[in-house]
Amino acid sequence: MSNQMNWINRQIRLGWVFLAGGLVVAVAGILLPRLVGDLSIDERIITGVGILLLGIGTAYLTHYGAARRDSQAARRMIAEEHDERMQILRAQAGNRSYWVSAVMAYAGLMWVSFVENGSLPPLSADALWYFLAAVVVLPFGIYAASLMYDQVHS
Amino acid sequence: MKNRLEELRTQNGLTQQELAERVEVSRQTIISLERGRYNPSIILAFRLARQFGVNVEELFLFSEEEHNHE
Repeated sequence: MSNQMNWINRQIRLGWVFLAGGLVVAVAGILLPRLVGDLSIDERIITGVGILLLGIGTAYLTHYGAARRDSQAARRMIAEEHDERMQILRAQAGNRSYWVSAVMAYAGLMWVSFVENGSLPPLSADALWYFLAAVVVLPFGIYAASLMYDQVHS
Repeated sequence: MKNRLEELRTQNGLTQQELAERVEVSRQTIISLERGRYNPSIILAFRLARQFGVNVEELFLFSEEEHNHE
């Protein structure tokens, strides 16, 4: 049981790290333009990253903080997250989504190569954005679908 | 792999959730084990056997023909 509480406490410490890091980054995004002057990037991007980290930290603290107060919930949470069958299913799903993203990235590289020698037309900025979005979304979809399918059928 | 998990679990008056908590896995894993869709790691197999006070071979019924990968 103490190993389990150690693991919960480690997740809570990680939550505090995200929270603190997010606060620092968000404040840096607000203060940097005033201290340094013109930045080459929009300072709102830095603040946005900070807010994202704050959100992740808050989620960690809420999720694992509740488990620390309730030992049965903690045991159940640890069993769900360390469950050997789920770890295998996640690894299989990750493997499938990796191959999808690898093939798509390879296709993108090949397209760019052929554009250089004039064999294919160049991608517009919009087309490039949609392609990059697909490289992120499609493997994630494959991961989620694979996990859901295997949960039921294996 | 065929097993006597459901038989021993019900004999001992345990629900799937209770057994899952005792051996530190999810209820879904217990369900998959009982249906023979998932084969446990050796550590989990030993934990389950100890839970019921039996040997692993009495709990999981290994058949050479079933696992022939030719």
